Amino acid sequence: MENALIVVKEMMQSGIIGPIAIGGGIAATYYIEPVLTYDLDIFFIPIEDGLDVLGPIYRYVGKRGFPLQAEAIMIEGFPVQFIPAYNELVREAVWNAVDLEYRSVKAPVVRAEYLAAIAVQTGRSKDRERVARLLEGEVVNRSVFDEILKKHGLSEKWRKIEGISHEK
Amino acid sequence: MRNKDTASAEAEIVFEKKRERRRLLAGLPFERKIEIIVELQKAAAAIRKDPRHMVWPL
Repeated sequence: MENALIVVKEMMQSGIIGPIAIGGGIAATYYIEPVLTYDLDIFFIPIEDGLDVLGPIYRYVGKRGFPLQAEAIMIEGFPVQFIPAYNELVREAVWNAVDLEYRSVKAPVVRAEYLAAIAVQTGRSKDRERVARLLEGEVVNRSVFDEILKKHGLSEKWRKIEGISHEK
Repeated sequence: MRNKDTASAEAEIVFEKKRERRRLLAGLPFERKIEIIVELQKAAAAIRKDPRHMVWPL
């Protein structure tokens, strides 16, 4: 994973992609107990908006000889999934990322509050479980989380999810 | 015959132990957590191999 992170950072520094942040299961693992996951999810802000935001990535990895495997790109043998920041919440999450350190590499990771908010927004059962774990782990600043939810129109959705959790 | 209160208290003890275990795991160094993910992947692969889900080469 260390070498994959180095390559991803090189892509950012070379202008292939804009700012990045680790999301998904690896980001959750940074804050709470390890979760079974198979990809390194990288949220990124495209250099240019348009229909082909993944094009520059595919061209770059093609030149470097990194093969594709389903939705992931095998970078130095490690499956990486590039996810363009698909709405304002995710873009904000990328801009507000914090650094994690893995072996010799520092890389941005989505903050716990944004990870929880994105999970509320996505709303699958595994996302609801993730929010519960993040909150239980006391890694989420509740007032920051509430502000993010309010800003992105997710407060009502969160209240419904909380209601379901309390009913169980 | 056990009453509901006793069963509920016993269940809460079990749930608290699980929460404590999650707290301990959450407090591990990030590098160790990644190693645990690989152990989970190997365990899953031992049950059923899925070509879409490879064990990470760390």
